[in-house]
Amino acid sequence: MLYFLPTLFLVAVMSFMLLHLIPGDPAVVMLGEDASPEQVAMTRKVLGLDKPLPVQFVTWLSNVFKGDFGQSIHTKRPVMQSIKERFPVTLTLTTLAMLFSLLIAVPSGIMASVYHNTRKDYLFMAGTNLGVSIPGFWLGLMALVVFSVQLGWFPSTGYVAVWEDFWQGLRYMVLPSITLGLFMAAVVARMIRSSMLEVNRLEYITHARAKGLSEWKVVLKHALKNAFAPTLTTVGIQYGRLLGGAVVTETVFSLPGIGKYLVVSIYMRDYPVVQGCILFIALIYAVINLVVDILYSYFDPRIEY
Amino acid sequence: MAIKRLLINKMGLIGALIILAIVLTAIFAPLIATHEPLKIDMLHQVELPSDQFWFGTDEYGRDIYSRVIYGSRITLYISILSVAVATLFGVLIGAVSGYFGGWIDTIVMRLMDAVMSFPAILLAIGIMAVLGGNLNNVVIALGFVYIPRFARIVRGSVLSLKGKEFVEAALATGKGDFYIIFRHILPNCMAPLIVQITASLAYAILAESALSFLGLGAPPPAPSWGNILSDARNFMLDNVWMTVFPGIAITLTVLGFNLLGDALRDVLDPRLR
Amino acid sequence: MNPMPQILEIEDLQTHFYTRQGIAKAVCGVSFHVSEGEILGVVGESGSGKSVTALSILRLVPFPGKIVSGEIRLKGQNLFDLTPSDMRQIRGDRISMIFQEPMISLNPAFTIGDQLIEALRVHRKISRREARDRAVEMLGQVDISNPEMRLEDYPHQLSGGMRQRVMIAEALLLNPNVLLADEPTTALDVTVQAQVLDVMYRLTQDMGTAIVLITHNLGLVAESADRVVVMYAGRVVEEGTVTDIFQDALHPYTQGLLKSIPIPGHSLGRQREELYEMKGMIPSLQRLPEGCSFHPRCSFVKEICSQTPPPRKEMGPMHFTQCWLYS
Repeated sequence: MLYFLPTLFLVAVMSFMLLHLIPGDPAVVMLGEDASPEQVAMTRKVLGLDKPLPVQFVTWLSNVFKGDFGQSIHTKRPVMQSIKERFPVTLTLTTLAMLFSLLIAVPSGIMASVYHNTRKDYLFMAGTNLGVSIPGFWLGLMALVVFSVQLGWFPSTGYVAVWEDFWQGLRYMVLPSITLGLFMAAVVARMIRSSMLEVNRLEYITHARAKGLSEWKVVLKHALKNAFAPTLTTVGIQYGRLLGGAVVTETVFSLPGIGKYLVVSIYMRDYPVVQGCILFIALIYAVINLVVDILYSYFDPRIEY
Repeated sequence: MAIKRLLINKMGLIGALIILAIVLTAIFAPLIATHEPLKIDMLHQVELPSDQFWFGTDEYGRDIYSRVIYGSRITLYISILSVAVATLFGVLIGAVSGYFGGWIDTIVMRLMDAVMSFPAILLAIGIMAVLGGNLNNVVIALGFVYIPRFARIVRGSVLSLKGKEFVEAALATGKGDFYIIFRHILPNCMAPLIVQITASLAYAILAESALSFLGLGAPPPAPSWGNILSDARNFMLDNVWMTVFPGIAITLTVLGFNLLGDALRDVLDPRLR
Repeated sequence: MNPMPQILEIEDLQTHFYTRQGIAKAVCGVSFHVSEGEILGVVGESGSGKSVTALSILRLVPFPGKIVSGEIRLKGQNLFDLTPSDMRQIRGDRISMIFQEPMISLNPAFTIGDQLIEALRVHRKISRREARDRAVEMLGQVDISNPEMRLEDYPHQLSGGMRQRVMIAEALLLNPNVLLADEPTTALDVTVQAQVLDVMYRLTQDMGTAIVLITHNLGLVAESADRVVVMYAGRVVEEGTVTDIFQDALHPYTQGLLKSIPIPGHSLGRQREELYEMKGMIPSLQRLPEGCSFHPRCSFVKEICSQTPPPRKEMGPMHFTQCWLYS
C-alpha cells in the first residue's frame, strides 16, 4: 500500500509543474497582453511566482495538504470551494454512468460467454466493437437531437441534484450518464465475457457440475466470482476514463460539474483553477484504484492485501 | 502463414479496408472533395445537403463534405504521429529500464505510474491548456500520455527475455548492451507492441476529436472532425447532417482500427483471445 | 455369470469429439461393469479414453464432445434416459467424481467449508448448521485435524494431500454408490499418496461404495483393485481380475505395459537389462488405424489385424480380451 505514495508525490509534482510549463510568463498569460506591469507584478506576488521554484513547490504542497488549492484569478474565490460545490455533480454523473454500464455489461457479458460461438455472441462482439468506436461527445449530441429536441423526453441542459429531487434529478442525468457510460459498458462486457470463457475451461467448473449443481448456479456463483476479479481492475481503470469523459460530457450537456469548470477555466486562462481541478481529479482516481485493489482480494482470496 | 490467418479473419479484413479507404481519402482529398475546405461563402450559410453541397454547409458557408474529406488528413496526421512518438520513447524507456534494472528501473516505473495516474484525456487537456492549441502540440500531448503504456509492454517483454540463454550467448561473444537490446530482444516484443499500436491509434483519434471539440485541439479553421462537430453544436436543428457526418467519419475510422487490432491480436497472440 | 448385482454397467459407449481437424473417437465401443463395493481399475496411457469415459458416465463431456451411442446403467436405470434435471440429482449424490489436481478442482474463491456445505445442501434439505456439522464430521473421517477451523480455510491454504482428502470427503458426503477417481494421486508427492489412498479405501469400504480407479499407474492397481480394465485408443483391450491381468496377461498391449514396469534390482548389477519400451506411439484419435487399433505397435501382428477389429472373447471366468491371437 505504501508503494503508491511516491507515485502520488510525483502526481503532485506534475500538477504543480503545469503552471510552470506555460511558455512565457504565467502571470502575463493569465492576465492577458494588455495588463499593466503593476497588475502583472501583483499577480506574481499573489501567486508567489517571484520565489525560487522549490520554495514555491513546498508552499504549494503544504497548502494542498491543508485543503487550500489556491484562488481563482477571475472570481477570487478559493478554488477548493468551487470544487466542493461542483464535485457532487461530477460524482453523480460518473457514478450513474458506472452503474448503468455495469447493469448492461455484466448480464450481457455473461450471456455472451454462455452462448459462445453462436449468433448472439457475434452480435455481442459487433455491438461492443461499435460501442468502443463511437465518440462519446458525438453520441451525446445525437442523443440530444433525438431524445431531447425531437422527442422531448429529456431536458437538454440544466441540472437538479439527485438528493434534492430524485426523479427530476434523474431526468437530467439520464442522457449524460448513458452517453458517458456506453464506452465503459462495451469494454467491461467484453472483459466479463472473456474472463468467464477462460474460467469455464477450468477444472473447478467441471467439478461444480459433477457435484450436481444446476447450470445457473455454476455460472452465477462459481464462475462469476472468479471471473469478476480481473474485471474489477478494468472497472477501476475505466472509472478514470469516466472522470476524463465527464469533462466532455458535462460540456455537451452543460452540467455544472468539475469537468465543465475545468474547460471554462482553460478558456479564461484561470490557471490556479486548472491546476486545482486536475490535481483533484487525479487524487480521486488514485483513491478509486486503491479501493479496487482492496476489493480485489475479496474476489480472489489468493491475493493478500 | 500469419498473413493467411489474418485474411481468414473477415473482421480484420474489413478493418484493414476501412483504414485503407481513409488513407486513400486523405491522400487524394483534393480529387475527392468538391470545394475548398476553408473557403467561406456567406451566401450559403447553414444549408441542407444539395447537389452543390453534398452534406450541406456550416455557418460560414463552408462545404461540410469537403471539410470532412480534408479532415481525414488531420486525423491521420495526429494519430499516426502521436502514436509514433509514444512508441519511440516508450520503447526506448521500457527497454532501457527493463534491461538495466536497479534504481533506473524503479525511478522510471514510478514516473510511468505517475503519468498513468491521470486519466488520459485529463492529462492531455492539461498539457494542451499549458502549451496552447496547435496541431503539433496535440501530437506532443497525446504522445506523452501514451508513452507509459508502451514502456510497460516493452519492459515486461525485456524482463522476461533478458534471462534467456540467447542473451547470455550474445553477451559471451562480446556484444554490447544496446546491440543486444535492439537486435535480439526487441524483435521478440513485436507482437504485443503491434497490438498496442493499433489500440492507441484508435484511442488517439477519439482523443483528438474530443480535444478539438472542446476547443483545445486543432485550431480553427482547420477541418478537424472534432472542430466541425464543435461548430455544429449551435446548428443541430438547422442542419442535423452537420453533426451526423463527421461523427460517422470518426466512428468508422476508429472502428477500422479496432477491428484490425482485434484481428491482429488473434493472430499474433492467441493467448489474449 | 456374475452373481453380484451390477451397480454400474457401461455398454458399447461411443463418445466422439467433433473438432476442426476431424472427428476424434475418444471412446469407441467401451463396455464394462462395476459390482457393488468393488474396486475396478481402469488402466491406460494418456489418450486412451479413460477420463472421457468417466465424464461420459456423469454426462459432463465438454464441447466439442458428444456421447454418440451406448448405454450406461446405474442399478439398471439407463442414465441417458434421464432428464438433465434428474441427472443432476445423480451427480454428487449417487455417483461422485474426484479429479487429478485438487488445486484446480476446488474453487479458489470459496472456503472449503462453503464448498462442502454446498455439496450437501444441493441434494438434501438440511439446515446450514446441520450441513456444517456433517462437513466437520466428514473432514475428521478423512484424517484432517482441527476440522472446525479448516472449514474457514481457502483451498490455497491447504497442502496438496489435504486438498485431495477434502475432495474425497466432499465426494463421499452423501454415500454415493460409485466413486469415479480420476488419477487421484498422480499430482501428489509420493509420501502423501499412500495416506490419501488409505483414506479413500477405508471410507469406501465402510460405505460399500464402488470405486472406478482411473490411472496409468499399474502399481496402484496391483495393490488395491479387484478387477482391471485395460484401455487403448478408446477401446477396452483386456478385462479381468487383478490376478488374471498381472499373472496371465493376454493382450500384447497389457503384456507390454507390464514389461515396462521397472523392477528394482534388474537394471543394476552385472545383469543389466534395458528398460523395456513399447515401440511406436499412441495413434491420433482422429486417424485411428484400420482393424485393431494396436496393430502398428504389436509384435505379434498378423494380416487380419490390419483389416478387421477383433471380437471380444472370454478366455476364462471374467477374463476377456479383444485380440486376433485368440480368435
